[in-house]
Parts: sequence; C-alpha cells; structure tokens
Amino acid sequence: MSVKFRLEEAGFAYPQEGLGLQPLSLTIERGEGLLVAGHSGSGKSTLARLLVGLIPHLYHGCLQGEVWLDDLLTAQTPLWELTRRAGLVFQNPASQMLTTSVEEEIIFGLENLGLSQREIQERTTEALRTFNLEPLRRRSPQTLSGGEQQKLALASILARRPPALVLDEPLSMLDSTSALDFVDTLNSGLQEGRTLVICEHRLEYLQAIKGLRTLHLNGQQTGAAENQPEMTAPLEDHRRHGLTGDHFQIQVHHLTVERGGQRILDNLEFTLHSGEVVALVGPNGAGKTTLLRALAGLQKAHGLISAVESGRAEPPSLGMVFQNPDIQLFNPTVREEILYRLPQPDLELYDWLMHILDLERYAGTPPLLLSEGEKRRVALATTLMRRPRHGVLLDEPSLGQDRNHKAILRQALRHLADSGQVVLMATHDLELASSADRMILLSKYGILEDGPAETVMQNQAAWDRLGLRVPDWVRG
Amino acid sequence: MKRTGRRLSFLKQSNLVLHSPLRHVDPRVKLAMCLCVSMGILLPLPRLVVFMGIYLLVLLWARLLPSAAAQVWRLKWVLLVLFVFDWWLISLNLAVTITLRLILLACVLSLVFATTTPVEFTLALEKLGLPYRYAFSIGLAFHSLGLVEEEWLSIQEAQTARGAYTPMQLSLKPRELRKTVQAVGEYVSLVVPTIVLAVKRAWSITEAAYARGFDSPERRPYRQLRFTTQDVLLMAASLLVTVLLLFWR
Repeated sequence: MSVKFRLEEAGFAYPQEGLGLQPLSLTIERGEGLLVAGHSGSGKSTLARLLVGLIPHLYHGCLQGEVWLDDLLTAQTPLWELTRRAGLVFQNPASQMLTTSVEEEIIFGLENLGLSQREIQERTTEALRTFNLEPLRRRSPQTLSGGEQQKLALASILARRPPALVLDEPLSMLDSTSALDFVDTLNSGLQEGRTLVICEHRLEYLQAIKGLRTLHLNGQQTGAAENQPEMTAPLEDHRRHGLTGDHFQIQVHHLTVERGGQRILDNLEFTLHSGEVVALVGPNGAGKTTLLRALAGLQKAHGLISAVESGRAEPPSLGMVFQNPDIQLFNPTVREEILYRLPQPDLELYDWLMHILDLERYAGTPPLLLSEGEKRRVALATTLMRRPRHGVLLDEPSLGQDRNHKAILRQALRHLADSGQVVLMATHDLELASSADRMILLSKYGILEDGPAETVMQNQAAWDRLGLRVPDWVRG
Repeated sequence: MKRTGRRLSFLKQSNLVLHSPLRHVDPRVKLAMCLCVSMGILLPLPRLVVFMGIYLLVLLWARLLPSAAAQVWRLKWVLLVLFVFDWWLISLNLAVTITLRLILLACVLSLVFATTTPVEFTLALEKLGLPYRYAFSIGLAFHSLGLVEEEWLSIQEAQTARGAYTPMQLSLKPRELRKTVQAVGEYVSLVVPTIVLAVKRAWSITEAAYARGFDSPERRPYRQLRFTTQDVLLMAASLLVTVLLLFWR
C-alpha cells in the first residue's frame, strides 16, 4: 500500500512570526521520493507538518489552499487517520520523547494502531534490532545521546509501518554509519513502494537514494541567506580584536569520567595546540559531549587538564557552545544577548562577529525566533564576545546549518584558530570534520587515532575499529 | 572539575524503589492505600501520633522509609515556616498537628510515586475510568517533573559557562538586601530559558504524540493490569483501615 500527496496552492503563515510556507502546488506520486531542499527558514518544516495534517489540526495561523493525502482532505480528516498513512519524524528528537524507556517509546505508537499484544512485541523487537537499540531497550530516552535519540525517534515511527514517510532533517544527529544504514533503510522502503519526503541539509548522504526528485523551497529570506558575507576584511583585523594569545598547549592527562557507576571516559591523554582546529569524531554515545564538558570545567572528572604557556600551567579558559542553543538564549534581541553583562563591550569585536557569522540583519530580532542554525551562531557569538583566553569548544556546530552557513561557520572557526585560539568541535559531520587541521577519533574504549585530519580520514583501519563508515564522497 | 550549581530539590522526581514489596502491586491498590493513609489527617493529635507510628512501620516493611524521608526533607523549609507561624499566631498544639499532617501527606506520595512507573500510573488512571487523554497527560506531567530539574541544571551550567549567571547566596538580613535583590536578578537568565524550554517541550510532545496516533479511537493498551491475591488482600486491608479511621476520629 502506498499513498499520494497533493498540494493545491497550499501555504501557511504562523500568526506570531508571519513566516511559514508560501503557497505552492505539488503532487508526490505513490512510491515517489522527494527531497525538499532550501536554506534555514524557507519553510521545509512547515511543509512537513502540512503534509501529515499537523497543520491545521494543531496550529493556528493562516492556511491557504488544500492538502490531500490520497482521497482525504487533511483539514477535514482526524489526525489519527492521517498519521496511520503518513509518519512524521521531527527535527529535534530530544523533545519528542514521551515515555520512560526506549521500549515504551516504540510501544506507544503501536498501541495507537490497535494491534494485538503479540504484534506489538514483534514489531518492537524488530525496530530495536534495525536501529541497534536492543542494548538500550530499558534505558530512559532522556539519558541517550542525541544520535541515539534520533534513532529512537525514527524507530518509533518506522515500527508503525506507515505507507508514507515525512522526515524533517532525519540525519542531522546520526553518525556516518547510522546515517548510511538509515539511507539504506529508506532506499529499501522506496523500492517497496513507500512514498518518501525528506527535508535535509546533509544532501550527500541522500545520493544513494535512487530516483529522488528535488524540490527547492525559496522562503522569504532566500536573497539574504544566499548572500554570503565578505570574509576577507576581518582576516587582517582579528588579532586586534583580542581573540588572540601567545603559543600555548592544553594538556590533558589521565582524564577519566564516571557517571552512574559507568565509565564514560577512560584515562584519556592528549594535547591541544594554539592555532589549530580539531575535530572530535566518534559514534553516538562515545562520550564526545562529556569530554567537551570536562574540558570546560563543567563535568566532574579525575585527571589533570591544564593550559601551559611559557612553562607556566593554569586551568584553561575555554568557552563552550552547547548542542541545544535554547538553554543559553533569553534576552529580547540578538544584540542584547551577545552584549549581555559586558560592562565595556568591544563593539568592534561585536561588529566583526556579527559580520563573520552572518547575523547583522538579526541584531534587533528576538533570538528565540531565529531558526536552529541561526540560534547556534548567536550562541557562538555570545561565547566569543567574552574572549575565552584559550579557545572555544563546540558541540555539533553544523546542526541545522545549510550549506552556505556551514561554509561561513568553517571560515569563522578558521579565523579563530588563526588568531591563536584552540577550536575543538565534536561533530558527526565528516565533511566539516575533514576540513579541520587535526582529527581525534574517540570510541567508548578511548582515543583510537589522533593526527592530521587528512591522514586520519585515509586510515581505514582506524575507522573500522571505530565502527564508523566513511562515505566515499567525504574522502573524495 | 565539577558540575556547578545547586539542585532544585523540590522538583526532583523520586527514584523507583525496585526492591520494594509494593513495586509489583497493582497501582490502583496503591492509590487506595494512599487515600486510606491520607484519612489519618482527620485524627486529633494523640491518635495522629499513634497512627503515624503505625504508618512508619508500614514504610519500613515496604522499604520506602528513605524515599519518604527524602520527600519530607525536601519540604523542610515550608514545614519549618508553617510550624513557627502556627505556633506564634495560634498555639503549639495546632502547629504540631498541622506539621504532622503535612508530613503524613508528603510521605503518602512515596507509596505510589516511588514504586510505580508513569506508564503503570497512566494505565491505573485509565482503568479507574479517567479518559485516556487525561490519564496520559497526568502520567506525563508526573514524569516531566524530573526533566524540569535536569533542564534547570543544564541551563545553569550553560549560563555559568558564558558568564550570564553567578550563583549567589540569598540572605534576608537587611544589610545584605541589595545582594539578595542581585541574586534574584541572577535567576532571570535561568528562569526565562526554563519557561521557554518547558513550553517548547510541551508543544513538541503534543506534536510527537499526535504524530503517533495519540487521538486514535482504536487504541489497545499493550500492558494489562490484573489483580492478584496480594492485591485483593491489600485492598481489603486498606478499606478496613479507612472504616476504622472514620470511627476512631
């Protein structure tokens, strides 16, 4: 069984922001795959919600036109009937968890299909196996890593076996192996006649899906986002903005972290040098975020972390940009957010950051109204305005960033390193990681490889030991 | 290298006491036991003290004494302030009675919340005739309290890291009033993201639930509740104690 989507001049505007989706007509045939591309804020998530009927059932705003799911007009059909036919996986998995165990999370959706106990049991086991979640079945979803949560969100919807799937950035938090495996699953679904709609920035992974049609959405901000800021001017200026230091090293000795009786990091030893961009790569749940938190002094840990400069050792001063920017933002405008609590802010540095992070046009906008990618850049600017002495730690900085903004981010990080700082980023994005100076491969058993990014990328044995597949286009 | 910030203990959800003999008792029976014990607040002071003594023995048997004590400890400041005001404004007798009643009510919650998962709790409410959408919401709220605390700690950590929050001691001394006002101001950087995240999470959860057919009339619960002999005996004992309490007061 498969389903067909049809939009007839369908569009939507949210009452608060006015943004949403500009009216469009579109037919997605049974068994067809559609990739929805577009920059942040172009309306991809709104389109996903329109297709499965969450708009207008749960959202108030201005709906135009009609959306049909087979012969059902979504606005007049109960949601449960629509979601039987089309499953939607949302962008942020952490906030979608409804229950207290991985197993219950999958069971919840199956109960609502009215299945027998036996059928629920079988489908749950199968979904856990498909997404390698069996060892975690009794764990609370809230204790999982971002990538594990994303796998669980996907498993919970796929277990319902909907004839159509609508996925909003399904790969954003997955490591390369999980992403490639998931793309295989999508490919098989498509071959079996399942209709597929994917909104995604990590387009390279989707090349493996055959016959995927692409729809480019052009939202209200298209012009602005496509104009990349000039990156040349600040290059000469960054040193006098104070984001600079003499040559130093951040030395990490015997770093061990235990949580809930479990050893998360075990006796890590490494040194970071000023002026380098370092990518920290590892499978979901390897302890990457924990390591960043330990370096920032936010995580109880054993061992020694010190910044050594001219033979003198001191605790390092490292700013941290968290995975979820919402936990940092609270001021009424972006400008106030970035300048918060700075008695004599360096406005030149502020202007420079606003420029290199492409935030100038949002200075007067409330940060919480920005897209996820934009919020992440504001969070980075707030951290850098404080001039952390030794550098900055970034947790999944490319999440929610479209291609243009990823390029901007990459250049901004390069500028920081050139100004003498350490930049350490934990990321699943191997394309971003491969652009770093150095790469550290972290597994549950410790550091497996540490060296120049180019060399590490080519070290197949290390990737095999890590259990991660490197797509060919990354090695390119 | 340690996690900064103080814990918002009053929001902490009780951990499940897996070794309690009440762990596998039907949640409906545990709710009945709760109601029964709550009737104790009708008793005058001397009988209330005796009743609380008996209840302590029940908690000891159920291995829930540490969990109940933790629950009371979380309310220590509320209890202390109420005790002082009641004693000061009315009488010592009333102050003791009201404090003991509140302690009893605080302990009662452990019978259910320290031994029942949100899924079991939801199922029990549903079996008791509450429509599923309300039962589910109550179960979710019960489960979410612990998450609010986790989020509060994450926000505290993030704001401390960016220098937007400095932990300060609250003091009621007139000389330190300015510091106290400043300390309250510090909380703005925590309270705004907490509220925003709570609202966003509530919305995301609503969407996620509907996307998985939450409003389906075809729903069939996977887990079932069945009364065992132990459940029947405990239910009968609860009813008996309730009747006795009504006469004894």
